[in-house]
Amino acid sequence: MGVIRELRARPGPFVFAALVVVVVWAWFARPPVSWTFALVFLIGLLGAFLTNGRYALQRVLGVVPILLVVSFIVFSLMASLPGDPAINILGPAATPDAVERINAELGLDEPFFNRYGNWLGDAVMGDLGESVQLRETIADGVSRTLTPSLQLMAYSLILASLIAFPMGVYTAYRNGQRQDRVINAVMLGFFAVPPFVLALTFVLFLAIGGITVGDTDIGFKILPGARYVPLGESVVDHFKHMLLPALSLALGISAIFMRLLRSDMIGTLRLPFIDLARSKGVAPRRILWRHALRPSMFTLLTVMGFSIGGLIGGALITEIIFTIPGIGGYMFNGIVSRDFIVVQGGTIVIATMYILILVLVDFLYLALDPRLRTSGGSGLGGGG
Amino acid sequence: MGAVSNIDRDVEPGPDWRGDSINAAATEPAFVEEAKLNRGGFGVMFWVAVTFLVTLTLAAIFAEVLPLYEFDETFRGENRDGPSRSHWFGVDGGGRDIFTRVIYGAQISLIISSVGAVLALVIGGMVGLTAGYYRGRVDSVITTFTDATLVIPPLILALSLILFLDNDANRRILILIVVFVLLSIAPIGRVVRASTLVWSEREFVLAAKTMGARNGRIMFREVLPNVAPALISYSLIVMAGLIVVEGGVAFVGLSVPPPTPTWGDMINKGRGDLDVAPHITLMPAMIMFLTVLALNFVGDKVQERFEPRESVL
Repeated sequence: MGVIRELRARPGPFVFAALVVVVVWAWFARPPVSWTFALVFLIGLLGAFLTNGRYALQRVLGVVPILLVVSFIVFSLMASLPGDPAINILGPAATPDAVERINAELGLDEPFFNRYGNWLGDAVMGDLGESVQLRETIADGVSRTLTPSLQLMAYSLILASLIAFPMGVYTAYRNGQRQDRVINAVMLGFFAVPPFVLALTFVLFLAIGGITVGDTDIGFKILPGARYVPLGESVVDHFKHMLLPALSLALGISAIFMRLLRSDMIGTLRLPFIDLARSKGVAPRRILWRHALRPSMFTLLTVMGFSIGGLIGGALITEIIFTIPGIGGYMFNGIVSRDFIVVQGGTIVIATMYILILVLVDFLYLALDPRLRTSGGSGLGGGG
Repeated sequence: MGAVSNIDRDVEPGPDWRGDSINAAATEPAFVEEAKLNRGGFGVMFWVAVTFLVTLTLAAIFAEVLPLYEFDETFRGENRDGPSRSHWFGVDGGGRDIFTRVIYGAQISLIISSVGAVLALVIGGMVGLTAGYYRGRVDSVITTFTDATLVIPPLILALSLILFLDNDANRRILILIVVFVLLSIAPIGRVVRASTLVWSEREFVLAAKTMGARNGRIMFREVLPNVAPALISYSLIVMAGLIVVEGGVAFVGLSVPPPTPTWGDMINKGRGDLDVAPHITLMPAMIMFLTVLALNFVGDKVQERFEPRESVL
């Protein structure tokens, strides 16, 4: 029983250790991405239940209505799109009899709400239907394309954090001084470059040799061009090819992260406990990173959750430029070829992951804010 | 992120304090300090940005009467030529003048983004105001719906909607505006709702309620004027965002169809010639970047001016 009590008192280290185990296991065993994601979510859920069961339960139950609304919006949008699935399958010369038969086979002759119910029931069981054009199930298609997208998302997020945390802390420390203003101006520039413009500029100046002004060449040929190398094939090549796409997505996000962290940090640095630490003679570096950073991270965490979701499906154009076979391109092809079951399935998977990630972020609050751990305590609204 | 509960536990007075103050003006409240910073006006860069935007807008409006080429006029034998005196931004792969096409492309970008931003603000503002003012059940219904639309990937939703609403591409500008407004309602609603939640707690709202003012009156006469300044500067940032989204839609070929020039389409078409004639991509990309940058910068400065404490995002 001692272990259980220790777990309830301080689940943080245990949860963290479990997550590390999952990541290491996933690295070597290479299970389907959905398994890894489900495991990570379950561990987070477990940790949250152990710390504050009521809060965790509330949060998880709150997901259900949002998921229902999302699925309904997606289903009714796709169901009302022009184009007859039966004609798509059979071709324009189909006889009315054949069309009727296919419709009965696909269940399309039933009323709208029955169709929605059937689809939702299947989707909950993991069956998202099958694309006739691609000759594969949506589940297969999504898990095939989700891996590169999740990798791209993870690298972008890591790069963005590596840029944003030092910059945010430093500019908060130098609030109002020249260093602060210069970094802020540069970051506003990053924020304003559309990712696809950034991507093409990177390709031009780092991969294909840049431009020639007069007689001088400006640019390098140090990175490979557009291609996706799976992690299992060559680790070095994989990261070489992923650097530019990840960087072009990361810079804009890092600017948002930095500004949020900076402004929250400035607020924290005005609080009395910082004065106390200073009067005790704690080094500025330690005050910034150990004392002030943690209470300044809450807005940033929420926004990080949002940008993770945005990156999973929103990297379409970066995927096109760097020919990464991700889920954005998979769904885009579905849209263009009017294969709506692909769009429907992909959207619902992305939306579900997005919502679950937002819940995980809320659970992370439990680890960061001791006030939230006691049931009934709701120190922070969260903003979520 | 361990669950260390006492972060001050191992603090010892050390000799390494250099008197390098973390926050020199800690004695003054935040807004006083920020207001002092802003007292010197908007700064030179602000006016440079405004000048750029005004020039671009005027050029786009008067494109037909300016001494430009036709946007579909081809110059044979000059394909992919770099910038020169007769073609300021060079010539593209189809032999057309890029400067002319950038100006005409600005028409599409500016019309769609400005009309889209204004409509989105009006509708999103109403939604947010209602949710934030009435709270309770109204709030949770509205928030569930806005959250639900927020988690659908916007570009995918936009592209599906464009195909859903329109096959023949003739009314594409109108369709794009409708789609972009639909997409922006949720994010704007969130911002306005958060702001309304704060303002409707204030004493003057309570005073108005005690005097028997109706809800509608309180919302529009008491709360809205306080929320509006932040909203107006936010509109510039929304506009910048819409320019980028329109660029993305044009990039995949679903914005206004050719021969009408759009920035995203020009950038995409130049991609194949990136190694031999990078200016075809770089010129429209640069103008798009400068426009988005200027809009964000102006929006930022205005926001700082109106609401010094909330000048983030």
